[in-house]
Amino acid sequence: MSDQDTFTFIPLVMDPKSKAISSATSPTSKALEAELLALNNLHRSLHGLDAPHVVPPPPVPVNPKRSAQVTKLRESGNTEYRKGNHAEAIKFYTLGLQMALTRPPWEPSQLVREEVHQLYSNRAQAHMQKQNWVEGAIDAEASVACKSQGNAKAWFRRGKCLLEMGRVQDARNAVAKALEFEGEEGGLAELKKEIDAKLAKDKVVEA
Amino acid sequence: MFGVNWVGLLLPSAYLVVLVGTFMTFSTVYRRRKALQSANLAPWFGPHLQRNIYLSLLHMQPEDGAEKGAPRIPDSVIRAALMRRAVEDIHRIIQIRAAKAACSSLLQRGSVGDDLWQRFQRAEKEMEDELRDVVMEANALVPGWGQIIFQSANEIAANKVLRDKLEDIEAQTEKEKEWWEKRRAVIQSEFMKELDNEEKTQTKAASVTSAASGDEPVLVDTNVPSASSPTGSKKKKGKK
Repeated sequence: MSDQDTFTFIPLVMDPKSKAISSATSPTSKALEAELLALNNLHRSLHGLDAPHVVPPPPVPVNPKRSAQVTKLRESGNTEYRKGNHAEAIKFYTLGLQMALTRPPWEPSQLVREEVHQLYSNRAQAHMQKQNWVEGAIDAEASVACKSQGNAKAWFRRGKCLLEMGRVQDARNAVAKALEFEGEEGGLAELKKEIDAKLAKDKVVEA
Repeated sequence: MFGVNWVGLLLPSAYLVVLVGTFMTFSTVYRRRKALQSANLAPWFGPHLQRNIYLSLLHMQPEDGAEKGAPRIPDSVIRAALMRRAVEDIHRIIQIRAAKAACSSLLQRGSVGDDLWQRFQRAEKEMEDELRDVVMEANALVPGWGQIIFQSANEIAANKVLRDKLEDIEAQTEKEKEWWEKRRAVIQSEFMKELDNEEKTQTKAASVTSAASGDEPVLVDTNVPSASSPTGSKKKKGKK
């Protein structure tokens, strides 16, 4: 219990102008430096709160402004995509992603996942149209990292991009994992067949 | 009649003295060792950096207020520091919860020692005190904050995890791109070679039909790789 009453004093100084806290002694440990950086960042983002609040409000009623903006950017991206302007669509999706990921950290992470997985998945599709397989694969992976269940499209896109790059084994693994999450989903099952066929063909050539 | 045979009693009493003495030494030594052990038990968690920062900032305040001109730590910084402390507490709670089931089942099976369990229980108790302390501090800074500080801290922790994961994934892009460029170049060159080979065989076939006797050695030379084109392409792969 003595632990609860004592603490280790860390010599700290504050920059009077920017109010940034830094260590008073010059050789600092990495952990302390990282922590102070995080503290200063959080302090700065706390300043962005609306007037009556001085501390983060409870996470649940979310300020709808940012969600509306993210949705709008996604919609614009979708329209551009439908018109065939894939580069423009990618730009809109990227902006939307920035908007969604710079959401204040105390807002619900579930909401961030929800928004971000759609944007990533759509951007992956746009990259695929431009035959940017690498970007497509990465975006699809990010999308399934946000939401692995009920995200069959993103799983499909990841498998497809990997297959296009000739990484047949990786594609197989991705699709197998996808089938675990999604059950028997039409597109995925077909893709799996395609991959298996390719694997079999490669084996024949090797032999 | 009551003459006591002192000499005869000497032996039993010496026996008693030795017996009691042994017991006492054993128990004191044993107890002392046990106390020392529990005092020396390593704490479950390392030093709580965020808590130290928060308390350091808090303790800088009165001193600085007394000195004129020295900057006072604004409340917003204190609040941010408390928030960081709550976030770290969330990480620790998650760790404790994850460890609890494993620890107790291992203890029941006898796979881990008693001292690990003691350390764990101490950590749990300390965590409870820490949470109560944070709630009290929060309520002191802003009325009513104590009820929501841990909700906010929980989201901050979860968001941090998500963003780190996404950053990790995005960081792969450059490397993968490089790999793909190389790979594509290889595929392209292989494809071109295959085309070349096909052309060569065709021209050779043409040259065979209209072959003059002087062409023959050249013909043999070029014919060998083209006849075994799969091995040729494999060699090229090996070089790359």
